[in-house]
Amino acid sequence: MNLLTEFYVGGYNQYAQEIFDPNSDLYKFNPDLIIIFLDTIAILGDHYFLPYKISDEERRSCTEERIVEITNLAEKTTESCQAKVILHNLEKPIYSPLGLVENKQDIGYLESIEIINSTLRDRFKKNNQVFIFDYDAFCSQIGKQNTFDYKMYYLGDMKLNLKYLPNLCDEYIAYIQSIASMTKKCIVLDLDNTLWGGVIGEDGLEGIKLGPTPEGRPFMEFQKYLLSLFHRGIILAVNSKNNPEDALEVIRNHPYMVLKENHFAGIQINWEDKVTNMRALAKEINIGLDSMVFIDDDNMNREMMKEFIPEVTVVDLPKDSALYVKTLTNLRLFDSMSITKEDEQKGQMYAEEKNRRKLAHETMDLTEYLRKLNVTVVFDKINPVIIPRVAQLTQKTNQFNMTTKRYTEEIISQLVKDNNYQVIAINVADKFGDNGLTGVAIVEKKDKRIWRIDSFLLSCRIIGKKVEETLLAYIIKVAKSNKAHFLRGEFIPSKKNKLAEEFYQKCGFKKLQYKDNTHVWEFDLKCEFPFPDFIEFKINK
Amino acid sequence: MKKTKNLEKLFNLISRILEIDTSIINSKTSPDNTETWDSYNGLMMVSELESVFNVHFTMDEVVGVRNVGDIIKALKKHGVDL
Repeated sequence: MNLLTEFYVGGYNQYAQEIFDPNSDLYKFNPDLIIIFLDTIAILGDHYFLPYKISDEERRSCTEERIVEITNLAEKTTESCQAKVILHNLEKPIYSPLGLVENKQDIGYLESIEIINSTLRDRFKKNNQVFIFDYDAFCSQIGKQNTFDYKMYYLGDMKLNLKYLPNLCDEYIAYIQSIASMTKKCIVLDLDNTLWGGVIGEDGLEGIKLGPTPEGRPFMEFQKYLLSLFHRGIILAVNSKNNPEDALEVIRNHPYMVLKENHFAGIQINWEDKVTNMRALAKEINIGLDSMVFIDDDNMNREMMKEFIPEVTVVDLPKDSALYVKTLTNLRLFDSMSITKEDEQKGQMYAEEKNRRKLAHETMDLTEYLRKLNVTVVFDKINPVIIPRVAQLTQKTNQFNMTTKRYTEEIISQLVKDNNYQVIAINVADKFGDNGLTGVAIVEKKDKRIWRIDSFLLSCRIIGKKVEETLLAYIIKVAKSNKAHFLRGEFIPSKKNKLAEEFYQKCGFKKLQYKDNTHVWEFDLKCEFPFPDFIEFKINK
Repeated sequence: MKKTKNLEKLFNLISRILEIDTSIINSKTSPDNTETWDSYNGLMMVSELESVFNVHFTMDEVVGVRNVGDIIKALKKHGVDL
């Protein structure tokens, strides 16, 4: 949050004087926000320690008096300046000398504090300058046993353990954001592993986790919380790397999908980078990037967003989907100090706008990003330990898979031994961590002149980082050094590999033929195909 | 004087709260010769020391501290290797 602040701190125990004197330094300071934090001990005085020294009748009138006192403080403040006032309610103690029969009294001690709190709440319901801060709930959330530290209280008259000051400040910031009009308006959501568990392009409509199962509920309920924000006027949008048809099928047809197309003000589902998509969404929805919040499970996407569009608030979603709802409900980004009928319908309005607009495209310098990403590709020597993983990748990879040929461990082992074939496996790492063995190519070299790429696949985690080009460059290099003349590649369309369709074409291959549902491409090995210059690679022999 | 890891931690903590350079901190550093060592920052140090070194001081210990040397003594008493 970029906000330049100035503080005025009242003198010790001078709050009443400063509030009631219209010429006080407090008002000379001309604040935008005044926080009145009254604590129970100060307000009740000796009644705090000896609550039952007085009769029920006296307690009733005492309670009345306290309410009038506190109300006067707040009202006097609003008369004397334009500042918004945050008025703490009172922390209800956890101890009563009456113990078990505390709540059997005509008007109990703890009850009297509840009455003060509920009366204050009611008194200022319609006041748009005074906001009651539920300090009692704040203490409960942390635990009243923790918020009160006797030693600090005796040493410095502190009623809140210093450890929890930052938590209290977070609460205040929600108000400050609202006053400074810095509240967020729009949540932009990733899909795979964010709105549902799993990857739709890999797991399919039946395979993703969403619904009333232990694994599906975190996602379903996360969506419900998002929907409740939509109902209070927060705009929702989608920013996802996926085949639009696959992802839209979930949104339209999955029985437990809570958020439907008509809840989203903008939908960007494609293979563009998320930064470009974010800009497109801002333009499409017509709101500032600084009022957008980005929620994505993938750390790389988040870091990319932080780096390229620092105005966007990026939520660091935890790895465990069980904590998604907690993360969302702990965000203090959407609070505003008033909600109008229009606000409540805003999410809806923006969602409807969508249908009237066309998608905008904007490109950013991806090369620059990749350069900073420090991608390293290690070409592994094939050994028995990695064969199961190689086989698994051929079995499971759908999206960037040129031929979708499935191989068992036995077949891979045979191919590794066969001199007519070369099996290549790559490990990919970047500055965010190691992705492990995530790419495989199988090259057939029966015909010494014309080599053929039988399989070429990458796990979806690493697509779009020039790893594909690196793998291909390596194959071309090996083919050249073995004096082959041509390299052929095939593309067999499947339901899920559309994204790889143009790969060979983009890499300078010429179309040879289309037969039996197979596109055959050919690369003339007289041509150059350099390794992408910002990717480091290592060959393990 | 060669600083142990814990001593370095302690000096960094004091330097951060009192906003003074670690190089001018020594066992004689006290509220009398350090303008920023007021009662609030004093309590802030207590709170931070307790959480950083995982100790719990008694009231008497806190009140008995007159300078950094006393803090070191109190920490040693609680088994912190300094």
